[in-house]
Amino acid sequence: MATIRYKSKQLAMRALKQYIMPILAGVLFIWLWQQQIFHKLFNIRLHQLPLPSRIWDTFKDNIELLLSYTRYTMTEALIGMLIGSLIGFGVATIATAWPKWGSGGLLLIAALNAVPIIALAPIMNLWFSDGLGSRIAVVTVTTMAAMAFNAHKGLNSVDPNALDLMHSYGSSSFQVFRYLRLTNSLPYVFTALKINATASMIGAIVSEFFFSSGGLGYLLSNSIKVAKMSMGWACILMAAVAGVIFYMVIEKAEKWSVKWHSSQRNML
Amino acid sequence: MNPAGIEVKNVSMSYQSESSEVLAVKEVSLSIGKGEFVSLLGPSGCGKTTLLRMMADLLTPTNGSIEIAGQSTRQARLSQKYGIVFQNPTLYDWRKVKDNITLPLELKKVPKAERERKALELLELVGLEKFKDKYPWQLSGGMQQRIAIARALAMEPEILLMDEPFSALDEFSRERLNEELLAIWKKTNSTVVFVTHSISESVFLSDRVFVLSPHPGRLSAVVDITLPRPRTKEMRNSPEFYKLITQIRDSFEGS
Repeated sequence: MATIRYKSKQLAMRALKQYIMPILAGVLFIWLWQQQIFHKLFNIRLHQLPLPSRIWDTFKDNIELLLSYTRYTMTEALIGMLIGSLIGFGVATIATAWPKWGSGGLLLIAALNAVPIIALAPIMNLWFSDGLGSRIAVVTVTTMAAMAFNAHKGLNSVDPNALDLMHSYGSSSFQVFRYLRLTNSLPYVFTALKINATASMIGAIVSEFFFSSGGLGYLLSNSIKVAKMSMGWACILMAAVAGVIFYMVIEKAEKWSVKWHSSQRNML
Repeated sequence: MNPAGIEVKNVSMSYQSESSEVLAVKEVSLSIGKGEFVSLLGPSGCGKTTLLRMMADLLTPTNGSIEIAGQSTRQARLSQKYGIVFQNPTLYDWRKVKDNITLPLELKKVPKAERERKALELLELVGLEKFKDKYPWQLSGGMQQRIAIARALAMEPEILLMDEPFSALDEFSRERLNEELLAIWKKTNSTVVFVTHSISESVFLSDRVFVLSPHPGRLSAVVDITLPRPRTKEMRNSPEFYKLITQIRDSFEGS
């Protein structure tokens, strides 16, 4: 009994040490900001960088608008990420099954990935009109690459002995895919999803800067244009919170579905 | 005729390396009878693993032929005539112990109830019933290798091919698993081809030891192990045991 209590106390201490430093640093940062130390240091005026208290007030006063725009932006990010990740995984699968064809597909995705969002946004707007569709298309393009490359690695970095074993059973390449490669790729797929959680939000917000009538990016760019800086910062705060929640949901799903992987074992 | 045995006829295997052709196995012929326990023994580079992998149809000989139970190695592989155990247990981390054992049955679409029954039977055979719902990485190396043996036996093969299965284990586990393997062999009546670089292990386990020498890999001696069955721990200290070890060691020096 005593040892168990000792252990839980130890765990609590470790958790405290793990979180207390980042929290202290965060509090200190906001306090310095509130005391206008940064303003003096970098010679910034209050209308250029509003104080945390002002941002918080704006945030509270406009919470309903912010929440509805967050829903709008997250819809684009989520649908775009799902489509992009599915296409990415599909290309990775083709590249695994037919390397000659697939390596071309991967190259194409690498090329698409190099196109900046600000170039994609007007093109997609032209193709898919200025509804949700054009932003979903931008997010799709920006999330394909991370999934394609990671999934391709996961599907192919298979233990050679395991391949020999499957061969000794006389299994078909579909069985090798279904029983070995697919599960083997899961940890890599989750790495891609974590990258895409934030990438999809950036894609959605930045493409809302152009031709949009809603969303956090739309509100952010309009607020900055008319110098409503505290509203702009409230948007940034909202986007950060939404991004962290998005990331944590995926992390939770990862813990649940790849608990067998060496990266997750200590949490069992 | 060799109905459930293995016939290796004049088999050679060469690899193309960057600069030249390397002869890994040179003109090996050997015959293994049904129910026999034989070892392929030799230092690294003698081609013992290459020979085993050719029997398993994981490699194709450059010359010569191999017949397993009267079939080509390809036919034997496709009809699951053999089960194979590697040096590394090669268990799937995401499958529970029992599901690892029944993987070959699942691939052949054996119904679930039948698989469960078979898993329990095999777990009992290797003495790991209690661990059926654990994951492989929760077991010790020796236990993992016993699971790999159980999996190799799942399709009830006539032949068991084992590629240095215990060489990664400590001496104590290895000796205990040697005894367990003999008990399993007795119960299943299978033919076993066991690759090892340990002279004492090959003597303790086998009916016959094929001694291979390196560069190029070739058969240099066949030693009959005259120790009676069942083999016991005590035999490891007997004069006959040491005599056989010395005989094999001398055959290396002679080559």
